Amino acid sequence: MTVNGNKVSHEAEDRTLLVEFLRDTLGLTGTHVGCDTSQCGCCTVHVDGRAVKSCTMLVGQANGAQVRTIEGMAEGERLHPVQQAFTECHALQCGFCTPGMIMAVAGLLQDNPSPSDEDIIHGLEGNLCRCTGYINIVKAVKQASKTIGGA
Amino acid sequence: MYPLTYARARTLSEARELLAKHDEARLLAGGMTLIPTLKARLAAPSLLVDIGQVQELQGIEAKGDRLVIGAGTRYVDIARSALVKRMIPALAYLVSRVGDPQVRNRGTMGGSVANNDPVADSPAAVLALGATVRTERREIAADEYFKGLFETALAPGEIITGFSFPVPARAAYWKFAHPASGYAMAGAFVADFGGAVRVAVTGASSSGVYRWKEAEDALGRRFAPAALDALEVSPDGMSSDIHGSADYRANLVQVMARRAVDAIAAGR
Amino acid sequence: MAAAFKGRREDRRLVSGGGRYTADWNLPGQLHAAFLRSDRPHARIVAIDAQAALAAPGVVAVLTGEDTLAEGIRNAPPMLPYPGRGGQPIKLPPRSVLATGRVSHIGQEVAMVVATTALAAADAVERISIEYSDLPAVIDAEAALAPGAPLAHPEVPGNVCFDFDYGDEARVKEIFAGAARITRVKLDSQRICGVPMEPKACLASYDAQQGVYDFWSSTQGITMMRGSVAGYGIAPDKVRPRAQDVGGGFGIRSGAYPEYIAVMIAAKKTGRPVKWVGSRSETFVSDHHGRAIRLSGELAMDEDGHFLAARYEWVCNQGAFPSGPGPLINTVTPKLTPNGVYRIPAVYGRNRLVLTNTTPITAYRGAGRPDAAYLLERLVEEAARESGIDRVELRRRNLIPKDAFPYTTPTQSAYDSGDYEALLDEVLARSDWEGFEARRAEARARGRLRGIGCAVFLEPAGGAGPKDQAMLKFGSSGEMTLYSVTGPSGQGHETVFPEVVGRELGVPPELITLRASDPDGPPLDGFGTVGSRSMGAHGGAALLAAREVVRKGLELAAKELEVAAQDLEFAGGRFRVKGTDRSLALVELARRHAGKGAVHPLDATADNAAGATFPSGAHVAEVEIDPRTGAVEVARYTGVDDCGVVVNHTLVEGQVQGGIVQGAGQVLGEHCVFDEGGQLLTGSFMDYAMPHAGLIGELRLYDHPVPSPRNPLGVKGVGESGTTGSLPTLMNAILDALRPAGVRQLDMPATPARVWAALRAAAGARQPPRG
Repeated sequence: MTVNGNKVSHEAEDRTLLVEFLRDTLGLTGTHVGCDTSQCGCCTVHVDGRAVKSCTMLVGQANGAQVRTIEGMAEGERLHPVQQAFTECHALQCGFCTPGMIMAVAGLLQDNPSPSDEDIIHGLEGNLCRCTGYINIVKAVKQASKTIGGA
Repeated sequence: MYPLTYARARTLSEARELLAKHDEARLLAGGMTLIPTLKARLAAPSLLVDIGQVQELQGIEAKGDRLVIGAGTRYVDIARSALVKRMIPALAYLVSRVGDPQVRNRGTMGGSVANNDPVADSPAAVLALGATVRTERREIAADEYFKGLFETALAPGEIITGFSFPVPARAAYWKFAHPASGYAMAGAFVADFGGAVRVAVTGASSSGVYRWKEAEDALGRRFAPAALDALEVSPDGMSSDIHGSADYRANLVQVMARRAVDAIAAGR
Repeated sequence: MAAAFKGRREDRRLVSGGGRYTADWNLPGQLHAAFLRSDRPHARIVAIDAQAALAAPGVVAVLTGEDTLAEGIRNAPPMLPYPGRGGQPIKLPPRSVLATGRVSHIGQEVAMVVATTALAAADAVERISIEYSDLPAVIDAEAALAPGAPLAHPEVPGNVCFDFDYGDEARVKEIFAGAARITRVKLDSQRICGVPMEPKACLASYDAQQGVYDFWSSTQGITMMRGSVAGYGIAPDKVRPRAQDVGGGFGIRSGAYPEYIAVMIAAKKTGRPVKWVGSRSETFVSDHHGRAIRLSGELAMDEDGHFLAARYEWVCNQGAFPSGPGPLINTVTPKLTPNGVYRIPAVYGRNRLVLTNTTPITAYRGAGRPDAAYLLERLVEEAARESGIDRVELRRRNLIPKDAFPYTTPTQSAYDSGDYEALLDEVLARSDWEGFEARRAEARARGRLRGIGCAVFLEPAGGAGPKDQAMLKFGSSGEMTLYSVTGPSGQGHETVFPEVVGRELGVPPELITLRASDPDGPPLDGFGTVGSRSMGAHGGAALLAAREVVRKGLELAAKELEVAAQDLEFAGGRFRVKGTDRSLALVELARRHAGKGAVHPLDATADNAAGATFPSGAHVAEVEIDPRTGAVEVARYTGVDDCGVVVNHTLVEGQVQGGIVQGAGQVLGEHCVFDEGGQLLTGSFMDYAMPHAGLIGELRLYDHPVPSPRNPLGVKGVGESGTTGSLPTLMNAILDALRPAGVRQLDMPATPARVWAALRAAAGARQPPRG
């Protein structure tokens, strides 16, 4: 598979989850595991351009795919507009949900560049945050939407 | 997860061959239910046959007056399909309410209907629309397909290849989401085929999706929200747990069905 | 006007995947642990057979309770510096790190497998066979008080491990006997899971030569972790607790869990680092839970609605074992603020701590304060309804006036400062309280029940320690490292503490780097990040350390500038000879003296003895209820908060937002439920209803600072006050919405099913069923 633009090739036990492969084999620990029932969204990455939960995919299913993780979002020193908006809107506190949240929001804005409040809430259904109460996350999605739309 | 072997099938026949070789083989479509089940060590298949990339299972098309959707089509593609939105907008809406965006990006209607989880959304659409469930060996009418909790008419090793939906004159789906899981506490799909009305209910009953015949009759006589007011939904057979009593779910069935009819009547 | 918020110092790494949480650390040669947990609430362990597990591929060791006892690990006692009623001490059942003799709750750690991979360890756990003999279990705390109830532990007859009271029982009784009006409520503050997004995990290595453990975990501070580990019998100086990023604390990560100690022992026994990453399912059942209190209260008033006395009774489920903070937070907190923001001349409270065969209870955001505020504000609300006095007017009539500070409660607790009536006035105006009835009518026309509720509340925050230290150390080019013993988990300490120091020293905050709870840093005294204390205690210490730098700098600069120290002034980062333009920048002074010895002459340590503060607030919520489904929607929420001087508005607001929504989670859905057989029914996010985006859509917050005299910054605690306020505010609003439909009482969580059932019961009571 290709991860953040780099071709990677490793042997893994068949029961290995994509998230385990990313974290344990590739050392990309920015993708987190927050639950075991596919609900928290902390492990969200993009596979072939779509936001998915990497805890709910076997690594074999991603064989040959294009995978993008939080580590691949910034271009050099320049943060992705969603990363920038999360920073400026104080949309993170402990930061554990943040990588998955950012990947989910990037996916949302890719599909729907100007989401309404309702679209944003609907689009965040697969991600949990315990610190922020989501208030500033919703704000950050709106700001990122403006940045991306205006760019 | 217990140790297992993963194999990716490229074609339907390859999937059939792999299934036939192993007693304990299971199909893996989107994996949105199966993988969490495996992680919880609640199932121990020896082989997983991944049909997620089998081309024959993909696609959405109009065939005559019917809408045909490949079993392996991802929810997200159904929800966004202009064809689905035009032919059966209620189906596009239902699919847009399945799980969450990440789940819709992976999950498939074929996987959901094969599993027949009593709280899943898709069975309500398949049953209310009177769809035909197509497998690699036959066609099964929706009314013959659903056999209760996680039970279906599928034979061991039989693979759903797609769904053929007749197009209703009008239809709507309304659901009350479970406060924790987001699955349906009760969901009602109401489809009006020009006088013949079908109503399917998911989420509420402890034996899975079912047709609410009394509502169909009442709406068949007069398609109006008030037609449902006189009906009593019995709590017998409804699920009961910490999230809601059988009485509560019986109430939700009525309210969701009525709201679906409201939505149709309002032209939403 | 503060500069626009550009992000925190922490954020760059956290938004880029560069954060390092516990599971992100790995050590060469590490082994992996997995736990076998009890699947029954109460049973005698007849036999454990680990042979098959030991023989499984990759398995290095299997540990059981006997192994931990052999290591000298003992029962960790709770923090409880006072006796209960009649001078009785707390009764502690035996507890070992891995169960010995019997198991006392579902999820209790029974055995641990250590293997070369995490999967191998998990596979082998299933090969351990345990023979149990079931014992009668007790799950509910009130049931546990009944005569003849099963005992959670034979060592604690009657299941009450601690019986505590405060106030003047006789006087309160006398006042109640003569009072014109008495209002009573009985409420449930249900059991909650803390659910930090980072599941529980740890990593330990053991240096056999030094006899020291390096230990990575999600911690709320180094001194707390060392103190907690010491409770188990491992000397504090033998542990170097480590953490970079902590994925949420909320009180439940304030101490060392049994798994931590077991992993440390395994590292010692195997001679290799051992890592354990818990699953969410394990975390749900084994992270200590919060709340679980039955609250009863009575309020006595005169004819005119003046409060005369209050009497409280709390029955606190402590689970199977008293946790470190559990007994403390369930007794001292209500005693510190028994009258809330009101003048209540006499109070009496009795709190019984009850053991049951359930997961232990610990501090969880608010830690007794939301419960106290909920009880009192529900009482006041009911008193208004019963007396016919307007609910705002009744509150206003009884508020402690702003000129009454420092105000001493009947329990001798001294409130620092506040202006409660101003908070109330402001929130009424900001929320358009007067215009509400029109909104209610508009909602009714749409078939919705709309309600409004308010609460005026305070809470004790901070204090909890004789002193906290901070140290500023200078580097080679004028940059500084600030050492403190805080244990941040998202509060933004790396950003705001350097801001405090930078402002005092007139230098950019980027020159200062915080090292929180660094085991390789200087040894510092203090207590961790609990009880909303960090800004007042550690931030205050940082400020004092900066002042000490200035004091030392004046001496040093005087020599450099060849004047007397008293001829110098310090401003804008420069030491200036008064009345001249001769000056020397602090940074330049620091540079000149760098590298001349082990200790930089400007290095400074300060002690801060911060006292308890009493942040307060007035909140208003409006909710809308769909009577057909029972679904509750928070239409808008307005808060006016006094958390003292605001150092960084954005971070303060973030704390209050998070706190309010966490409280809303308890009000609207979160509930940790054990069935009668002791099984956890809410063991995953499939059944435990977490707040999602949009739970509170419109949230408007306003600062109303009244400085606190109890710490050098004038701040008050802010981490928990949002939660304290939102429980009573939201429940008062929900009941206001339901009252016209005849509902008078409803317990949290106000789930759709419960609200619907309450409406149906009320309708049934008003009109007999058909037929």
